[in-house]
Amino acid sequence: MNYPNDLLYSKSHEWVKEENGVCVIGISDFAQDALGDVVFVNLPQEGDEVTAGEAFGDVESVKAVSDLLSPVTGTVCAVNEELMDSPELLNSDCYGSWIIKVENVTDKEELLDAAAYEAHCAEEE
Amino acid sequence: MSELKRTQLYDLHVAAGATMVDFGGWDMPVQYPTGIVAEHLYTRHFCGLFDVSHMGRLLISGPQRVEFLQHVLSSNVLALDINEAQYCIIPNENGGAIDDAYLYRFEEDRFLLVVNAANTEKDLVHLREQVKAFDCTITDITAEWAAIAVQGPKSKELLTELAGGVQLTELVRNSLNSLELEGHFVRIAKTGYTGEPLGYEVYIRSEEAGWLWNRLIEMGARPSGLGARDTLRMEAVLPLYGHEMGVDPEGNEIPIFAVPLAKFAVSFSPLKGDFVGRKALEKQAAAYKRIREHQFDDIADLPKRIMPIALLDRGVMRAGMPVYQGDTQVGWVTSGTMVPYYVAEGEGLATRYTDETAKRAIGMAYLYSPIQREDTVEVDIRGKRLKAVIPHYHMRVDAPPFARPIIYKAEEPAAPVTDEDRRLKALELIRTATENHQWRQKYCINLIPSENSASKAVQLLCASDPAFRYAEHKKITSFYNQDIFYYQGTKFIDQVEHMLVEQMRQYLGCTEVETRVISGQMSNMAVFSSLMDWKNRLNRKQNPQRLGYILHNNILKGGHLSAQPMGALHDYVAVDPVTERNAVVSFPVCKDNPYKIDVEETKKVIEQYRPEFIIFGKSMVLHKEPVAAIRKFVDEQKIPTTIMYDMAHVMGLVGDYFQKPFEEGAEIVTGSTHKTFFGPQRGVIGVNYKKDELKYGLWKTIESRAFPGSVSNHHLGTQLGLLMAAYEMNTFKDSYQKAVIENAKHFAKCLKAEGLDVAGDPAIDYTETHQVIVRVGYGQGPDIAERLEQNNIIVNYQATPDEEAFTASGALRMGVNEMTRFGFGKQEFAQLASLMADCILRNKDVTDDVEKLRAGYTEMKYCFSDAEMEEALGNFLGTIGF
Repeated sequence: MNYPNDLLYSKSHEWVKEENGVCVIGISDFAQDALGDVVFVNLPQEGDEVTAGEAFGDVESVKAVSDLLSPVTGTVCAVNEELMDSPELLNSDCYGSWIIKVENVTDKEELLDAAAYEAHCAEEE
Repeated sequence: MSELKRTQLYDLHVAAGATMVDFGGWDMPVQYPTGIVAEHLYTRHFCGLFDVSHMGRLLISGPQRVEFLQHVLSSNVLALDINEAQYCIIPNENGGAIDDAYLYRFEEDRFLLVVNAANTEKDLVHLREQVKAFDCTITDITAEWAAIAVQGPKSKELLTELAGGVQLTELVRNSLNSLELEGHFVRIAKTGYTGEPLGYEVYIRSEEAGWLWNRLIEMGARPSGLGARDTLRMEAVLPLYGHEMGVDPEGNEIPIFAVPLAKFAVSFSPLKGDFVGRKALEKQAAAYKRIREHQFDDIADLPKRIMPIALLDRGVMRAGMPVYQGDTQVGWVTSGTMVPYYVAEGEGLATRYTDETAKRAIGMAYLYSPIQREDTVEVDIRGKRLKAVIPHYHMRVDAPPFARPIIYKAEEPAAPVTDEDRRLKALELIRTATENHQWRQKYCINLIPSENSASKAVQLLCASDPAFRYAEHKKITSFYNQDIFYYQGTKFIDQVEHMLVEQMRQYLGCTEVETRVISGQMSNMAVFSSLMDWKNRLNRKQNPQRLGYILHNNILKGGHLSAQPMGALHDYVAVDPVTERNAVVSFPVCKDNPYKIDVEETKKVIEQYRPEFIIFGKSMVLHKEPVAAIRKFVDEQKIPTTIMYDMAHVMGLVGDYFQKPFEEGAEIVTGSTHKTFFGPQRGVIGVNYKKDELKYGLWKTIESRAFPGSVSNHHLGTQLGLLMAAYEMNTFKDSYQKAVIENAKHFAKCLKAEGLDVAGDPAIDYTETHQVIVRVGYGQGPDIAERLEQNNIIVNYQATPDEEAFTASGALRMGVNEMTRFGFGKQEFAQLASLMADCILRNKDVTDDVEKLRAGYTEMKYCFSDAEMEEALGNFLGTIGF
């Protein structure tokens, strides 16, 4: 498993990267591996409000559907439309394939650094 | 929770890094590191391996094994011959399913019943209770024997290699065999749960299972888990107990007839007696019938049915999601996910699968019975209503070696056509027909054995005035059996027909000939209809009995369509009440030469089935048919039967160089007049009954089943042409027939010498007919035939006796008849063999050389070509032309 040091992670396995006040959000290597082949992603639309700890979309693997939980509260300012046609990018390049970008961030979940997140994953396994 | 059970292959799954899950109490691999999507695609494209050792394997033996199984299963166990299997359901008294299962008959004295892993204990409780009333025993051999499913287009090749080239099973689904794979004894079944047209399930002793698993992986097969097994079966619309069988989301039992496979799995044969659930199932069957007739007012016994469902909007369906039409909930999704597939390009036989993949959201649903295919519905996916359709299927398996995904798309309306469009199209038609005629007659080398070009005289006669006339006639007893015509202006054609009958009688060497049938297939149908009529002649007050048993050449062994139940026999062949299948049995073929009938084995089959009708003749034909030997045998054994020889392909070879069917003891000969014979496309029937014989009555019936039974207008233009062809044949047959057979043998030897894989017996130079068969590799036939056509060589691609269907053809079927008529001799066929080898083996463009070779041979031989004839033809052309 790979957990880049420049990212922060939620306990529900999303990663967050803050760039100039905008939070870029994706799913972690642990998440994509547990899901198996991702075949569909349900995305919010630009302008939607998201709330920390609540679902902003879902990701479907062959086996099952899992909610995507937002690590932050704010407004969606960009959606990675490429995932509509190529959801498998979440498996092949989970850190290169962001899902949404959120601005006007007012609240955040408790976020872990790479080392703490790795320990958290080890507990879950 | 009790400890999970492990299959014989558990350690191998763990070592391979599989994700293991609890499945029905078994610790099973749901996927390997490659993932479900890759495993699914690899199975469809190459070969997937599945550990199915968790399924329950029960041996049923003892004197009353058949009675017991008839009582507890939905199927007709007596329909199973040795080395056959059947899908079946274990019903309860209410007509619900306790489980679904597969019944195998590998051995004479016991049956193998394979049930679902999660249901094994429940099944055993039920079966052990039921078995008390029968003198037989149930032995659980799940631990002693492992089971491995080998599925996908390459499965046959891999297993055949392990079997040392021995044929694994008969070609049809559900065939079984017991054999050795590199010294390991296995029982093998052509069955599976992936929908693959090529797929096997192999039973092997537990301690040897690991060897087979690893050996197949070494050869290129890939282990696949339960995840891929589920998506594969869903794409094939195969039910899964607990989803499409058992209870619905409201806890109500799903009736067995709700499952599409029920119509195969349930038999109401009287031989089954009062089996468990029979009464309930009969009610369901009646409701099912009403539903199929679109009568929906009395369907309480079958209110919902399992149907395929495909999502039209973007999303994924899952089991349990409600399905709506408007505001009404009409059922639930029972299975659903996103399934991958390879994207195809091209159309028809030229369809190719690219490396590109895509996915589609499909599944199955349990829906109100009135809902029909092509209806649209909505699926409630977590509060969102998404559009879906009920497609006819998700996939088709009738074009092996691949299972073909059918991607739903609505039909588009055709564009309107104007008068001007039609005028332009008419003009285009004349131009393209001119080009086509030139190309086929001057530039192509035609090797299609069922075709021949006609002489100029025959062609002109076919196009002249009688082509537009009627000349119905019938023998009337009041006029001393004279033919009475129903139309005026027919005196010429009356003479023509009499002369044609006389010429054909001489040619075939028989007493009576019917020439009004206009195709070979029609000849056969007229004969089948006559035989049935003859059989029922003494009792006209009942529904006529159909024919059976019939001994014929199976289509998979080169038999012609016109002697198959799915072809011309369709409306005339009986159903055997025991097997509930068509009452046909096929000629056994020699083990070392599948193109040749095995006479000794045939005698055994005749003794067992006592066929009332024996049909010789085939469309892939390298050998003489053993008419004389079989005639002698049935006469000695005093078996009442009728022997017919359908000489379609070899009609032009009747004589000293091939066979004289009536001298050998055939009673009826049918055929078409345009394959090795010289004529236009028609049929002919000859019989050898004499007026004082009882069976002369059968001849009279044949006449009446020709007219008015089969034709009103019997196409007088080609009948006129056929008379000329018969004159030509009777005049030139000696030199033509000799040349055809010599050329075929020489052509076969040259192709072999050029490095091609020629089928047949080298001891007879491969062929005794006009045909030569060349094997080009499994499934490669269509591609090679297309390549040859691009090089102006026209052949048939052909499935050999080892191939499932024409789409999997691995051979070319060729005939030397037409090119022999154009004057090709041994030297030309040698040259042609060399060009074909260049094209097939080295992919060289030989078009120019083919045209050059053909250019020297565009004048028809074996026909009248003297100056007087040329002059008469010139006049004729002037008269019937402009």
